[in-house]
Amino acid sequence: MNSQNRPFGSYQQRFAGSSNPTIKNPSTQVSQDAQFNDRDCLNDMLATEKWLTDGFNVMAREASHQSLHNDIMNILNETHQATRDLFNLMFEKGWYTIQPEQPTQVAKEYQKFQGYESQFPQQQTTPYGSGGMYQPRQF
Amino acid sequence: MYRERYSQQYRMNQPPRVLSTKDCAYLTDALSWELLAAKKAHFMASQCSDQQIKQQLEQISQLHQTHYDVLLNQLNTTEHDHEHFGYQGFRQ
Repeated sequence: MNSQNRPFGSYQQRFAGSSNPTIKNPSTQVSQDAQFNDRDCLNDMLATEKWLTDGFNVMAREASHQSLHNDIMNILNETHQATRDLFNLMFEKGWYTIQPEQPTQVAKEYQKFQGYESQFPQQQTTPYGSGGMYQPRQF
Repeated sequence: MYRERYSQQYRMNQPPRVLSTKDCAYLTDALSWELLAAKKAHFMASQCSDQQIKQQLEQISQLHQTHYDVLLNQLNTTEHDHEHFGYQGFRQ
């Protein structure tokens, strides 16, 4: 079964007429009747995890003391990991299709936003991955 | 009591380890989410035929139970005056 037939669980294709090949595994077959199948299970659980990350994101922001905030941040992070694991498993089973963007389009956007760099108030560029990260206040 | 302990004599640079009414409301909400998610993942695992999916769902059920215990510990006031058990204590 092709995932494009089912809007739920597969991203809408922006460029249906794209010449780029889609990134996709062969679909694992599931029953197509009214039965709640394996794919439905993963979709439902993925939706649950997504919903939980929203909840914990708000909760982490609203927490009063630091130890509570830290616990919630850990739970948020692990819930994101669980969401990711479910997504990857669904991709592995061939239930997700990825449409690559045209490299010329990516290059165009890169150039555009590279030009915007001049608008930053502080002109020094922070080397990627080597410091320059926000330092939280120490107590 | 808190007013005396955290009086004007020194200025707090962050909130003390005390649960607010809001914290408590969020914690009880989150505990219900985690309990439901753990039961749901376990039920889903029992319904699935694919071994790999079964295993993944069971693992997620376990994760939600762990999260439940972490949240529950934040509600356990007897823990609060001592060194807090903390998140890492639940990681086996």
